[in-house]
Amino acid sequence: MEDIAIQITKSLVSGLLMGLVFALVALGLTVIFGVMDIVNFAHGEFLMVGMYTTLLTSPLLGIDPVLTLPLAGITGAILGVMCYFGLIRFLIKGPMIAQLFGTFGLMIFLRNLALLFMGSEPRVIHEGWLVGKSFIVGPGVVLESTKLAVAVLSLVSFAVVWWLINRTKVGKALTATSLDAEGARYMGISTEKMNALAWAVGGASVGIAGGLLVNFWPVEPGVGLLFTMIAFATVALGGFGSVRGALVAGILIGMIVNLPPVWDAMMRLVHVSGLDIHSFKYTMVYAIYFLIMVLRPQGLFGWKQ
Amino acid sequence: MRKIAILAAIAIMVALLVPAMAVAGPKEIKIGVIYPLTGPAAAAGRELRNGAELAAEIANNVMPKVNMTMAKNAGVKSLGGAKITLIFKDHQGNPQMGADLAKKLILDDKVVGILGCYYSSVTKTVSAVCERYGVPMINGSSTSPTLTKRGFKWFWRTTPHDKWFTKDLFEFLVGLTKGKVKGVKAVPMAELKNLAAACEKTEWGSNVSIEIANFAKEYGFDLKANILYAAKSPDLSSEVQSMIATKPGAMLFASYTSDALLMVKTLKSMKAKPKVVWGQDAGFDKPEFRALGAEIEGILTRSVFLPSVVKVKPLAGEVNAMYQKKHGHDMDGASARAFTGLQTWVYVLEKAGSTKPKAIQQAANTISIPGNQLVVPWVGIKFSTKGDEIGQNVLGNGLIGQYQMKDGKIGLEVVYPFDMATAPMIFPFKGF
Repeated sequence: MEDIAIQITKSLVSGLLMGLVFALVALGLTVIFGVMDIVNFAHGEFLMVGMYTTLLTSPLLGIDPVLTLPLAGITGAILGVMCYFGLIRFLIKGPMIAQLFGTFGLMIFLRNLALLFMGSEPRVIHEGWLVGKSFIVGPGVVLESTKLAVAVLSLVSFAVVWWLINRTKVGKALTATSLDAEGARYMGISTEKMNALAWAVGGASVGIAGGLLVNFWPVEPGVGLLFTMIAFATVALGGFGSVRGALVAGILIGMIVNLPPVWDAMMRLVHVSGLDIHSFKYTMVYAIYFLIMVLRPQGLFGWKQ
Repeated sequence: MRKIAILAAIAIMVALLVPAMAVAGPKEIKIGVIYPLTGPAAAAGRELRNGAELAAEIANNVMPKVNMTMAKNAGVKSLGGAKITLIFKDHQGNPQMGADLAKKLILDDKVVGILGCYYSSVTKTVSAVCERYGVPMINGSSTSPTLTKRGFKWFWRTTPHDKWFTKDLFEFLVGLTKGKVKGVKAVPMAELKNLAAACEKTEWGSNVSIEIANFAKEYGFDLKANILYAAKSPDLSSEVQSMIATKPGAMLFASYTSDALLMVKTLKSMKAKPKVVWGQDAGFDKPEFRALGAEIEGILTRSVFLPSVVKVKPLAGEVNAMYQKKHGHDMDGASARAFTGLQTWVYVLEKAGSTKPKAIQQAANTISIPGNQLVVPWVGIKFSTKGDEIGQNVLGNGLIGQYQMKDGKIGLEVVYPFDMATAPMIFPFKGF
């Protein structure tokens, strides 16, 4: 029984950390969707750009990877704004399908651009304050420094975005744009600026996330897909456009994918072997996602129909 | 008297002519070689082509410095010195394209036989075409166990496959408990008995996982965790947690590159400390993995050819030096096995003394090439003709290498087969 108690604690800790990582990646996606009703398929590629920014600038400037985070954020924001003015602004005038294929095309374009300049090999950061460090905080309970840092950043980012949207004038303008763009324009809100701001905030948050993630995860041009599939499930589960929903859903998914070790510990207790549920952990995530979609199509905290 | 003289003269001429006619075979022997020369495996394709070309060059010319039979003659001696001509085709990783190219080689180019195709999936379709037309095919580098389980009569595989490589691992683990490993005293079985494996869940990893489970049972080990995980997973912490919880003596992996990197990072951050860490080639034997440097010191990987083999196998050194001179880098698993594949073709033709398919078939089924003729570290080449693995070389084996730091650089040293060890093994694994 002690074994199970320890395993539950371990899984809760790593589930919480990983959940906050998923939530942070999903944050930008939900902000952009909330304001513009656009699903950005290239979101994972923004993350990849953030990862490469830190990977390349850290040795170039001779500073620790963590110190390059502002650069990764700025790069993400600039990329977001560029994408908005160069592509999205035109796409939103077209039908929904044009928007979907447009951001899908952007994803392919960015990925191939990375392939051209960076090659297909996965690359890792070898040295840094966060690289390879972890702390034992209990019997077998380990806190991995990169995930811990991402988790803290995730909480801070959610707080900032929540504050921005709910407590500031700009936030009110963003909300107004998302509720009724035409009405907002009549009220003198520059919806164009608001949209660009949403892309900047979305790009910056995922850029910073990438800058931190690369301290632990290998980066290659296709890395975005690993996280975006989960990010889409997170956003849909939490409710499209809901910042609070993304946080809760991210943590929920983190917990689900860390269930198998608890299951294994239980099986060991009853001396049963041979039932491996690790390979089904993402199936469980998507099964719950489908269930929520059927029972509550707007997601857990969704307010958009 | 005059008649007798004329008859005698005719008899002498006939006597002189008959052997000449008997050996007047073809001037060239065309072998079709199908490899992935473009597409995602183009880099491997280049190595494969270089390996096959070097073997053909040695077979076609007298090279006294190279200590192998085919280097002593110019061309195939039993066929009147006929030269080997390679006709390369590019299957781009596409099984259907491979089959079409094989038909073209057989019907238009009239090749004597086929060599290829690296991808198991392409080897499967190409060998089916060869089987239909009754044309011999030798495969040097496809490792799916199913290829030699089809009972084909025109297909022979020189390389060991994944089942054999996994068997090597268990021979090695047992060797550790018996003190056979260079530089390591006999390890008590209790220290290694518990095993934990994590393999990616595509056809390759799933097969390796099954083989690990079977061999663990056969060799008396206790496989406490046998996990399949989704390839290209964003998080492997749950897998690593489950493995650590079983307190394994050895952790075993079958992972592609990015998974292998994430796995090592996760093992390190979760402070895993098994006695042995082993990877089934793939991600564990790539330059990107080696770039982790000192972090991976002590990790084992299976392989088929390592540059350090030249320390214990002078012939490999001679051929590798020629390869180095031509291409600027060492031979690898792909080039060494392509070399051996074509070399086998030459020996089979030499033994057959004919380019007729039936004669080649008989020669291949009875051939025995000793290990001292090969650049790869095998006992030799001898194909199985009965049982459930028809056409499989039964004298092949893999290598197990260990990452060790030498002069500040990470490299692989051979620790298995035991008599080929190039350095004492680091045991136990010192942790990340």
